[in-house]
Amino acid sequence: MSYTIALAGNPNCGKTTLFNDLTGSRQRVGNWPGVTVDKKEGTYKKDKEINIMDLPGTYSLSPYSAEEIIARDYIVKEKPDAVIDIVDGTSIERNLYLTLQILETGVPTVIALNMMDEVEARGDKIGAEKLSETFGVPVVPVVARNGKGIQELMEEAVKAAKEKKPPKKLPIFDEKLQGAIDEAKKLLEDAGESDSEWKAVKLLENDENVAGQVTEELKKQIDGIVAKAYGPEADLEAVVADQRYQYIAKVVKNAVKKGTTGHVETKSDKLDKILTNRILALPIFAVIMYLLFACTNSENFLFLGINSPGIWLAGIVESIWERLTDLAAGVLGGASPWVYSLVIDGIMEGLGAILGFIPLVLVLYILISFLEDCGYMARIAFVLDRIFRRFGLSGRSFIPLLQGFGCSVPAVMATRTLESEKDRKITTILAGFMPCGAKLPIFALFVSTLFADSNQTLVTYSLYIFSIVVAIIVSLLLNKFVYKDGASNFIMELPQYRIPTLKSILIHGWEKVKGFAVKAGTVIFVSTILIWFLSGFNFGSFNGTNAAENEDGSVMCEMNDSFMASIGNVIAPVFKPLGFGEWRPAVGVVTGWIAKENVVVTFAQLYDEDVTDEYLEEYFAQYSPEELEELGFEGGEYDAEAAGDIYSESVLFEGGDENALPHMKDDIKTKAAAYAYMVFNLLCMPCFAAVGAMKRELKTWKETGKAVAVQMVTAYVVALLVNVAGGLFL
Amino acid sequence: MALAMMEVGETREIRAFHGKEEVKRHLQDLGFVKGEHVQVIGENPSGLILLVKGVRIALNRGLASQIIVA
Repeated sequence: MSYTIALAGNPNCGKTTLFNDLTGSRQRVGNWPGVTVDKKEGTYKKDKEINIMDLPGTYSLSPYSAEEIIARDYIVKEKPDAVIDIVDGTSIERNLYLTLQILETGVPTVIALNMMDEVEARGDKIGAEKLSETFGVPVVPVVARNGKGIQELMEEAVKAAKEKKPPKKLPIFDEKLQGAIDEAKKLLEDAGESDSEWKAVKLLENDENVAGQVTEELKKQIDGIVAKAYGPEADLEAVVADQRYQYIAKVVKNAVKKGTTGHVETKSDKLDKILTNRILALPIFAVIMYLLFACTNSENFLFLGINSPGIWLAGIVESIWERLTDLAAGVLGGASPWVYSLVIDGIMEGLGAILGFIPLVLVLYILISFLEDCGYMARIAFVLDRIFRRFGLSGRSFIPLLQGFGCSVPAVMATRTLESEKDRKITTILAGFMPCGAKLPIFALFVSTLFADSNQTLVTYSLYIFSIVVAIIVSLLLNKFVYKDGASNFIMELPQYRIPTLKSILIHGWEKVKGFAVKAGTVIFVSTILIWFLSGFNFGSFNGTNAAENEDGSVMCEMNDSFMASIGNVIAPVFKPLGFGEWRPAVGVVTGWIAKENVVVTFAQLYDEDVTDEYLEEYFAQYSPEELEELGFEGGEYDAEAAGDIYSESVLFEGGDENALPHMKDDIKTKAAAYAYMVFNLLCMPCFAAVGAMKRELKTWKETGKAVAVQMVTAYVVALLVNVAGGLFL
Repeated sequence: MALAMMEVGETREIRAFHGKEEVKRHLQDLGFVKGEHVQVIGENPSGLILLVKGVRIALNRGLASQIIVA
């Protein structure tokens, strides 16, 4: 017999920690309300017959936000065999508010009293037995973070699931209200509705979601009951909430012994005095953000003259990949030219470009996870709220936008924690403007080749500023002309500061990067092969013309005659006003939609014909033997066979050489055009994976189309302005 | 008076809320109900940090001015 046990509780009460404990799974846990934005399933590690369902955290079962609806629909409609309601002992009153509503649904329930270590540290005592007696369900004290009490909790939960005994009815409401509930309940029962008690309360509360499930007539009759007992203008919702809290207050008074009376200043309060201070908060935030990016992507880490952890890791990954490529090249030495070309020029080169910056994204996400887990991120959201409000957003939008510096997919997913629909829609669009990890190689290549005589660091940083300024302007415009429903509110629980466990941070960082790595292995893998095919073949490959013309009998063709050239030539004119109306840059834009990593891969492949053996020999002749060795030539001696790989890996992807891809300058002639190209790729539609994520958040293709259209128009207009203005001033 | 006018360290009782129905519902879920005590424990340009039912909650000033306390 298999059972399903659901975990429910307030945001940030330790649900996900408990879920990981129970299932041995590694879901991300954050000290940030709203970490679990969807339900997750796993099996109990000690009994595979038991399914565990982790529901998103909710403050109540009224449908205020998307997560609450997920949690409530699951409990009410899917009816798990039992619910474990996790109650944060440090804020027991607020947490029991949800408990009462779960008990009302009639589902067998076990209460887990979590964070008992912190409760004890405060000197408070919670009488679990008294609570159990009052509520008529088992109450088990646990410490989810170290697994204390979990075994006993599960035993109780399995017992409850087997017995299937609904919790007893509690005397929460006063006579008048209970009378109205009973009347409504009878109407519902007569109409053949299930869960009549729960629905009766919800209908009296004027819950639109439940009202939509019953007939109009029934709803009218129930409104009649309310009007009769409380008058026509009555707001029963407030009455219900009030009586629930009063009941809880009585229960808590009876079962909880506070160690101290009143509020004692905790460590968190002291930290908040500094970190949310009206003067210090923003400077501290700026320093933390500087450190975040310095650790990720700096070749002069904290001015120590060493590489940052991110760059250091990236170097290791790249050198491993280099060896693998050499190995593959050796094995394929005798294979036919097109197989060699597919594996070495297509797959190895394409994937290598992406693997190189996965470490950057990983380091960024590990650090973001640390900020989320320790509780600081909630404060940042609050501190920034005033500034974001001026631009028509809420401070909460900061998290998705920051994540956008790593990868747009988790960034778009994170918009789900925003309460207002307007904020969600706008932030989804803006997240696509952020310079995600995959866009950085584009900047590196362009800045090193086409801005060789400029201040290159400045050019790169200016793009970051550009993305933020454009995001602000677009947000203001969207607020003014599209989403006019006024400012949204900021309501957020500020969790206690906690030192996160190393395990949780690593899991959390990896979870985010996993999606990225999977993307590299699937979408990008397929698209590299596609680009390779389209740029090396044409119709002549299949009717024998190429084989007859080529000396070596190969069916492949010159890049200039390929399918890719034909496609590029069709769309190139669109980009003419932006300064890059040639087929190769146009193809780069298109492959960038499959994945932004592809832009540089495409450039490397499309301008590859420039890189002849003679060119390479001449190119590397400028280096001394020591420099050659540093670049990867064994013994510092020029080696024609290794030259191609070394060229693409250390010259193109790293940036750093103005003479790389000499023919790029024929297509993109001016600095203004080069900057416009970078800006266009920065702002235009993100990769397909991100568009897929946008569709999940925005629900319909129509809304997604609108969002993508905004991104495209923005990119085009801004790139056009850059090219025109640049042409005038430079 | 409005909650937004309270000083840091002050504790008062919630009387009413003048604002949108769905915001009111959310505030109730978080413990902002009539008769509940609320203490201001911090403030900055973004708004106030409040203590309600033992939980720290940050509110923007606009919202805080819709909550009436006595």
